[in-house]
Amino acid sequence: MTTTDDAWLQIHGLSKQFGGAHALRDVDVDIHSGEVHGLVGANGAGKSTLIRCLAGVTAPDSGTITLAGEEISISSPRDAEKAGLAFIHQELNLVPHFTAIENILLGAPKEKRLGMIDWKRSRRLAREAADRIGVGFSLDRRVDELSVAEQWLVMISKALVRNSSMIAMDEPTASLSDQESNHLFRVTRDLAASGVAILYVSHRLDEVLELSDRITVFRDGRVTDRAVRGQLDKAGLIRAIVGQDVEKPSRERHSGVDRSATALFSARNVAGAPRVRDVSFELYRGEVLGIGGLVGAGRSELAKLAFGAGKLDGGEFQLAGKTLKPGSIPRAVASGVGLVPEERRSEGLMLDKSVAYNMNIAVLKQLRSVPSLPFVSGGKSRARAQRLIEQLSIKTPSPAQTIGSLSGGNQQKALIARWLTPDVKVLFFDEPSRGVDIGARHEIHEAIRSLAADGIGTIVISSDVEELAVLCDRIVVMCEGVVSGELVGDEISEKRIIELSYAHLQPAGSPEHPSTPDPLEGDVA
Amino acid sequence: MSTTVAPAGPAQSVPPADQKQRKSSKRVALVILSRYGTLIGLGLMIIGFTIKAPTTFLTLPNFLNILNQSSLTAIIAAGLTMTLVVGEFDLSIGYVASFAGLLVVGFIARDGMPVLVGVPLVLLIGAVIGATNGILVTKVRINAVIATLGVGTVLVGLGFAYSAFPIAAGVPQEFIQIALSRLIFGVPNPIFIMLIVLAILWVVLNKTDLGQKMQAVGGNIEAARLSGIRVDRVKIFAFATAGVCAAITGTLLSSTLGSGTLAAADGYLLDAFAAVFLGSATLRDGEFHIVGTLVGVLIIAVGFNGLSIFGAPTWFQPIFKGAILILAVGLSTLARRYAKE
Repeated sequence: MTTTDDAWLQIHGLSKQFGGAHALRDVDVDIHSGEVHGLVGANGAGKSTLIRCLAGVTAPDSGTITLAGEEISISSPRDAEKAGLAFIHQELNLVPHFTAIENILLGAPKEKRLGMIDWKRSRRLAREAADRIGVGFSLDRRVDELSVAEQWLVMISKALVRNSSMIAMDEPTASLSDQESNHLFRVTRDLAASGVAILYVSHRLDEVLELSDRITVFRDGRVTDRAVRGQLDKAGLIRAIVGQDVEKPSRERHSGVDRSATALFSARNVAGAPRVRDVSFELYRGEVLGIGGLVGAGRSELAKLAFGAGKLDGGEFQLAGKTLKPGSIPRAVASGVGLVPEERRSEGLMLDKSVAYNMNIAVLKQLRSVPSLPFVSGGKSRARAQRLIEQLSIKTPSPAQTIGSLSGGNQQKALIARWLTPDVKVLFFDEPSRGVDIGARHEIHEAIRSLAADGIGTIVISSDVEELAVLCDRIVVMCEGVVSGELVGDEISEKRIIELSYAHLQPAGSPEHPSTPDPLEGDVA
Repeated sequence: MSTTVAPAGPAQSVPPADQKQRKSSKRVALVILSRYGTLIGLGLMIIGFTIKAPTTFLTLPNFLNILNQSSLTAIIAAGLTMTLVVGEFDLSIGYVASFAGLLVVGFIARDGMPVLVGVPLVLLIGAVIGATNGILVTKVRINAVIATLGVGTVLVGLGFAYSAFPIAAGVPQEFIQIALSRLIFGVPNPIFIMLIVLAILWVVLNKTDLGQKMQAVGGNIEAARLSGIRVDRVKIFAFATAGVCAAITGTLLSSTLGSGTLAAADGYLLDAFAAVFLGSATLRDGEFHIVGTLVGVLIIAVGFNGLSIFGAPTWFQPIFKGAILILAVGLSTLARRYAKE
């Protein structure tokens, strides 16, 4: 691959491993002054890690970063700022009750006169930065009164006041209207024209193609393609993101699923703030249903809605043909819905309590000595914990062991065990194998399959397409809050899941997926 | 994007023996000190006072005296323990106790209510005040420090208003005897009442599903919520319990004093906090629990008893109290930190 010598920022041979997983493998990227440089790739492809390395948040294991011909080391966000690199993330780092100008100047080197901060001059610099990108609102307004688009402009002004030579933008248009996006595109182009390098990270491929002078594509921690404007079209971009080698033989899937019977669990036109707009699906007895899509597509939010943790704005969930009353977790639990949450430590575990305690906390009523008295039987609690420890082969010295000392995989199994009661009917698994080793991952998959075989509705949310492909009998793919397609049985492949994850980006009327010959069978939003 | 595919290293859980070996001996010493430091401190105090003043300190009457003095603090502190277990605060308990003490004397001595009606009624009012705290904290979402301080201050005013009406008749012996008589083995009643209250709360906290839920709410509120626990109800219950316990302490204090006095029980707030935090560094790693709270109360009571036996000047008492509070919270924080590492 080509590495031009005159690039302003040269990243060479960058590698980073987390545990055993390669987040970045020998990555080369050149960024020139005055260009918009698009970074694309599926979840976990390596874009974020690269950005974190540049921002001084993550330290790479090896590789060099050269700035204007000089090798630099970025070991803290401060180093990054000194090097002229600015980063704007989706969660804009603004102080809500400060004004726009206060935010712009916050932490910036202040103009001084006679040892005192020259506010007048500082304000003028801020104003100049804002004018450069056509800020039309008063800088004396509080940031929490501004729209998201206006807040983006504040963040960009903030970068300009610091004389940043590169601005990295992460999913800038995710919550902007079309009109606001267009304004941001104009600003982006103008900035590039004035010599600032823009690193543009987005899942919206049309946008990236339209804006970028050059594009770098990531897959599995590697750079898989580089292109200059006009070299790639969308089909080619998707091919580069998906890769050609993912058409693996899928596992033998459940053939005994009766999809003519009443669905065990279904969603009908479900909508709920902030991310779920219109989702329908059915889950039949005996199958594992997967929900795929990019991070931010609204999958976890969908699960939380079904679990009663969130306000349902429209539609309904049905359990065995009966409508679930929304908006209450205890009611959802009583109806037999369970959720193994995405964030194991913060949403799932009481870390300094025992394994048995963590397993039993959702089913205490069933463990009473006498059903009508509120006393929990220690014997029953231990017996249930012991039984589930054996059933899921959880490695722990005893049920009384503090759960925080177990490995991630065993903690995850204990969380699954929490919901295994005679009453449970539907279980959501949100990223069930995140942060667990390969052996535990396999065991967790086995457990989920055997639950499905026992007639429990199992719904797996995962950003890991391989996991979905090997585990699920049917996959619903979500994109920006709507279902972009459904894959059943042999239609399932990693490639198709990724394609559908980007499906919303198809302009209306254009051919579905130029990269695949067979037309999509599911519905497309 | 989820680029952080951070597998948690080796799959096998670490056997505890292995873990212990990794701890440096210094760390073990710190853990021992943070878990047993309070008990060692209590033991040292008792030994020291016994050596210094064998004839006055180490006597049965003095021990009963210490326990009797501890019982009122222990009851109110046990209630406070419940709110701390669910991860909240209650700064109103001292005021609730004072207010309850005024009301109960008013109801019985002025309004002529039978003791068996007046006392339960005041405990019920304590529960309502506590539940109000809980509703303000959970439903209105006011920070617990502010909510309970506000409620407490309102109670101070109500107490003034209520005590403006003179109490004509004297306080009946029946009421005074609650705290003063020694129904069993010559042991003062408050000690038994304390043991009963503590036993009930211990059972609730450790043996009932409600208690397990309280610990879950305090341990990880989001995980508790996502386990289907009605977090708000659990918290309101904890506050109501603290209110009842404060009312019991207030009632017993009025019975001991033979009158309802303004602001009589306000000072229990500080003692209770010191005791509960000392207790959380006792036997556990910074976890609030009933037995620990009792140990905390005893430490404070023995300390005070010793101070008065040795004739320490009055100005030294608040210094001792403040120092104990800071020491207690410090120990509790350290215990938690070392447990995490």
